[in-house]
Amino acid sequence: MKSYLVFVLLLVCLFALFVSGCNREDYGADDKSKIRVGIVFDIGGKDDRSFNAAAWAGARCAETGKWPDGKSCDKPALGIVLRDIEPGNPTSIEPAMRAFAERGYDLIVGVGFAQTPIIELVARDYPNIRFAIVDGVSSLPNVASLVFKEHEGSYLVGMLAARTTRTGTIGFLGGMDIGLIHRFKEGYEEGARAVNPNIRVIPNYVGVTDAAWNNPGKGKEIALAQISKGADVIFTAAGNSGLGAFDAVEQQGMLNGRATHFVIGVDSNQNMVKPGFVLTSMVKRVDNAVYEIIKDVVNGQFKAGFHVYGLDKDGIAYAMDENNKELIPEEAIKQAEEARKKIISGEIKVSDAMMK
Amino acid sequence: MSLFRELIFPLIAVVAAFFVGGILILVIGDNPLQAYGLLFGSAFSWPVGIGYTLFYATPLIFTGLAVLVAFRCGLLNIGAEGQLYIGAFATAWVGITFAGLSPWLLIPMCFIAAILGGGMWGAIPGVLKARFGSHEVINTIMLNFIAVALLSYFTQYHYKSPGDPIMQTVPIGEGAHIARLGGFIPGLPEFIPLNLAFVLALICCGLVYIFLWRTKWGYELRATGTNPSAAEYGGISVRKQIIVAMTISGALAGMVGINEVLGYRYRYYDGFSDNYGFTGIAVALLGRNHPVGVIISALLFAILQRGGIPVDAFTEHVTKDIVQVLQGTIILFVAAEAFFRGPFAKFGLLKRSKV
Repeated sequence: MKSYLVFVLLLVCLFALFVSGCNREDYGADDKSKIRVGIVFDIGGKDDRSFNAAAWAGARCAETGKWPDGKSCDKPALGIVLRDIEPGNPTSIEPAMRAFAERGYDLIVGVGFAQTPIIELVARDYPNIRFAIVDGVSSLPNVASLVFKEHEGSYLVGMLAARTTRTGTIGFLGGMDIGLIHRFKEGYEEGARAVNPNIRVIPNYVGVTDAAWNNPGKGKEIALAQISKGADVIFTAAGNSGLGAFDAVEQQGMLNGRATHFVIGVDSNQNMVKPGFVLTSMVKRVDNAVYEIIKDVVNGQFKAGFHVYGLDKDGIAYAMDENNKELIPEEAIKQAEEARKKIISGEIKVSDAMMK
Repeated sequence: MSLFRELIFPLIAVVAAFFVGGILILVIGDNPLQAYGLLFGSAFSWPVGIGYTLFYATPLIFTGLAVLVAFRCGLLNIGAEGQLYIGAFATAWVGITFAGLSPWLLIPMCFIAAILGGGMWGAIPGVLKARFGSHEVINTIMLNFIAVALLSYFTQYHYKSPGDPIMQTVPIGEGAHIARLGGFIPGLPEFIPLNLAFVLALICCGLVYIFLWRTKWGYELRATGTNPSAAEYGGISVRKQIIVAMTISGALAGMVGINEVLGYRYRYYDGFSDNYGFTGIAVALLGRNHPVGVIISALLFAILQRGGIPVDAFTEHVTKDIVQVLQGTIILFVAAEAFFRGPFAKFGLLKRSKV
């Protein structure tokens, strides 16, 4: 009989747990007088030191006025409630978005083009909630598409690469073989050709699946193969896989205090990853885009449709800091700055691989 | 009394795991009651929470049953993951290729494709084991890799709509869509992907039970699992039973594709499975390798999956990893069940079980 007693006790325990759950419809007691923003990351998660990390930095800046590492981001905090979800697997992205939508959040940000179909699905069910998708394109009336002119920034780093190379051969290391990455590649090629029409560009891609973003070993192999073919500057647009190219150029060593081979970083400023070997980084200011869209919602100026970030709005830039100022001569920068102005004014047209 | 004995240890394990998880949450700096409140509150809220919980439970019931059937024959099927991918792709392939057919014809064809696809993939290690004695654990796990890589290839190069950066096939024909339960149950919104596959999963539980415990074939299968030598001596072909068990196991796993492809995404999506095949092992283990137990434990894991999202989002410190820790702790406690059995037997609360 005693054993039944134990059984009943256990049932009571479980029941208590369930009841404690059911009575809490208020969940996390968010301050509803403030604008509430939910951000749903890509599979990579917010600590990928690149794309997701930049989105997180922008959201964090809007919440606290500081970067995630605690330094000031030089922009005012917007007094919002910020919540984030790292879904971790593709099945959880939709319920993650709905978790925010069910609670009536004011803005839901999806990070990464892969979330586009899901955000459209949820946005149709909640027409009064505003959504923003980073890198994706949607035509729904309550979805803002935050896109970047990666080709323009790639054009400028292509120019710098062409000015730096001594062999007349440069490499491009792409992640996944998709339109978005072709955009980097074509801009890069065009920029390089503008400086030296006879330059040779070797493009390679890590793979065709999502795994291509996260394979530094293969990235290094490809970079070494490009170096053996004579490439001495390699532009990476391959997420985590790109870090393999950083290793590959470092392995080539220095001659008279200057690296013989260089790599160009992407998305975030990666100049400090291997100082001296990183020529520059093609920075995509996802943080600015996320901050701006939150600001729009706070000010009641949210607009759906395209929000294009190019060279003009500080959406795209090449990173110059103490790590690489010795590597690029003054006149190369002057030339790049001129091209930058011409692209903004429309005098130079960089072709967009995704518009073909 | 025996049912009660079967139930009590998993139950103790679950409660103990929640207790340990609670301490962990406390150490991290959140209120465990609030975190569990979020977890269960979102999993049991009507209609969205319950709808999603049942939707998440569906694939786990299928894979739990798959592991169960193999286990009852003395085999450990770690390949449910690969089998469900093959089943899902097979059903999507039929849905795409014969998109124009009427639903009355197309839906049965898609069902059969999922069952055959998974069954075939499960039969391979079965045959290898029966014919050559190669171990099913190694073969099934290797076939997982083959399945995933093969289907990535087909998705990327043959069945994707051109220019789509997302790794998914073109959509299946409208005729292959199966109804969502929201259409039948008042108050359940239709956007919740809970669909007829859930009903199918429950039916499968019944069928597996009848097959294993009420038919001659099921008896032969279980006899093989209990003692292959004795079964052989009794005139049962052990080799045949191994192949049959692995085929049924694979077919059950393949039915996950019905839920995923015909009921939710309406296309094959590369990497859709959140380790359902592997969680299925835990589901079967926790469910004491019984169909009813599988339903209960699949629900438990579904609650954790559904509730993990708000716990991640709406607490200050706890992340979704903690929910995984909870899941792992439950499995650990169930596996280390003797740990509980010992003291209970010692204090005379229970007679030492014969298991």
